[in-house]
Amino acid sequence: MIRFLLRRVALILPTFIGVTLLSFMLIRLVPGDPIEIRFGERGISAERLAELRHEAGFDRPLWRQFVAYEAQVAQGDLGTSVVTHDSVWGEFITLFPATIELSVCAILFAIAIGLPLGVIAAVRRGSVFDYGLMGLSVTGASMPIFWWGLMMILVFSVALGWTPVSGRISDAVYVVPWSGFMLIDAWYSDDAGAVRSALSHLILPTIVLGTIPLATIARMTRSSMLEVLGEDYIRTARAKGLGTLRVVVVHALRNALIPVVTVIGLQVGTLLGGAILTETVFSWPGVGHWLIESIQRRDYPVLQGGTLLVATLVMLVNLGVDLAYGFLNPRIRR
Amino acid sequence: MPLLEVRDLAVAFPTARGTFRAVDGVEMVVEAGEVLCVVGESGSGKSVSMLAAMGLIGWPGRVSAGTLRFDGTDLLTLPPRRRRRLVGRDMAMIFQEPMSSLNPCYPVGWQVGEALRVHHAVPRAEVRGRVVELLGKVGIPAPATRLGAFPHQMSGGMNQRVMIAMAISCNPRLLIADEPTTALDVTIQKQILDLLLGLQRERGMGLVLITHDMGVVAETAQRVQVMYAGQMVEEAPTAELFAAPRHPYTAALLEALPERALGRRRLPTIPGVVPGIADRPGGCLFNPRCRFATPRCLAEVPKLAGPAGRRARCHYPLDAAGRPTGGHPDAAA
Repeated sequence: MIRFLLRRVALILPTFIGVTLLSFMLIRLVPGDPIEIRFGERGISAERLAELRHEAGFDRPLWRQFVAYEAQVAQGDLGTSVVTHDSVWGEFITLFPATIELSVCAILFAIAIGLPLGVIAAVRRGSVFDYGLMGLSVTGASMPIFWWGLMMILVFSVALGWTPVSGRISDAVYVVPWSGFMLIDAWYSDDAGAVRSALSHLILPTIVLGTIPLATIARMTRSSMLEVLGEDYIRTARAKGLGTLRVVVVHALRNALIPVVTVIGLQVGTLLGGAILTETVFSWPGVGHWLIESIQRRDYPVLQGGTLLVATLVMLVNLGVDLAYGFLNPRIRR
Repeated sequence: MPLLEVRDLAVAFPTARGTFRAVDGVEMVVEAGEVLCVVGESGSGKSVSMLAAMGLIGWPGRVSAGTLRFDGTDLLTLPPRRRRRLVGRDMAMIFQEPMSSLNPCYPVGWQVGEALRVHHAVPRAEVRGRVVELLGKVGIPAPATRLGAFPHQMSGGMNQRVMIAMAISCNPRLLIADEPTTALDVTIQKQILDLLLGLQRERGMGLVLITHDMGVVAETAQRVQVMYAGQMVEEAPTAELFAAPRHPYTAALLEALPERALGRRRLPTIPGVVPGIADRPGGCLFNPRCRFATPRCLAEVPKLAGPAGRRARCHYPLDAAGRPTGGHPDAAA
């Protein structure tokens, strides 16, 4: 177990360097640097522009800039935003709870709906329900988030007026930002309507962000269950006289969950990617929204640091998934 | 009243080429406390017919029968919930592959105790003690320390013992063992068989032993049923079957036993294979491989005939000297 952990941790370092190299190079391929974006429209002189570039170090060769950045990151310093001059880490920590809240709700929604649907489809394979669900899940898995988000807003916010269009909580409600998680903060506020307001703001982004994972989880659960239901030990369980529910939930599902947990873990990457789009559509003040803005402003340190932090998170979750196998599957516990 | 009574059992599976009857016209009567062997080649429908009796044929297979009774209870009309109360408690089954027949995710102690808990066979507080007792009974050393072991941590023979402990946990009156020793090596085979027969005698269970090993049949069974291509082709008391088989298939099977072929240069075999889904012959299903086949065998389906308990599905059942009777052209000559 320790060896396994060490090997996994050792793999994190090259991934770090790869991620920073990619984000470092890609953002510099986009025309215009932060100085130009900020001052370009004000018509400042070419000399002043060159001076500002020199101060920020953007006139050095790319490789030297990269080495300097890596050295800085290695010391645990992600730098400060070129635009706001706040520390990248500070901004990330302020905005991150909003993204976590949305992502956790989305994945819980996807699991809560997708897992049972997949199980039912497998148990009733070949039925109308099965075919219908699999058709829908192809649609769901290939749903473009920005379009899906706009459609949901059009129907539920604009036409029906059931939910707010954007943001995390109504302006009319004041909540002390204590944990950064709106649902928790609203729960501890005195305002009775706060939780309801936070929930109503959360529901559409959750559905939009959860759609793709839901479809993927439902499909994976179905195929995994189908395989397990054909195993000899399922026959043994039925030979004990167990009811269908107990056979499916106790004997089949636990075995079928092993590949499904992998898929759920892999969805975290998709989820954070989707969060960027979802946050933009719903003006959700999270990390995704922040990263998009950093691209528009060519805010190099924010984009690089933010990407690195998100990548770290994905790696940590995948490590957690690998550890969860041991819990589910006694055969690889040692 | 017989413990298990099966008449005209059929199991059909829909396929792309139409319905395939994996089992057709199986009859079986098991009395309390007797050992019945069911023999036949792979694919002859031994397992499927027993699974059908246990109610374990899953979708899309379809089971039909003229009679299917357990201890006088009609299993065909019994609602599934009531039937599950019999299965695992009064009628139990063990399978061929002990390694894959145990759930890899749960400790063996828990798996053995499950049937006890579900059927409320003993009070909850006593389940653990009973499981230890059962594991000891089936010959697992230091059973109390094995409760938390997972199937992958035990050998095949030990796992089969666990399967047996599981099957006998609720004191079943009928135990069906589907080739319980096929996946095990020879020394373990003997131990497992002895264990099963010992338990059968001690508890007076009815035991149906499915096997393709004639040696096992000779050592264990009081009666034998021979199956071929989904049909029961012959039934007989063990000694009579070995002395004077009436169906040519049984005779050919016995001739293929190495201990009966001493002094011959080559071991006799039965040419061809069991007909599959696409190549079912007309008339008697054994006719392509039968050395006595006549035009009548190709045209007319034989019925089970003969005195009760000694029937054979053949137009020309063999006499004690192994010659076909019933007006067979060879017999006339």
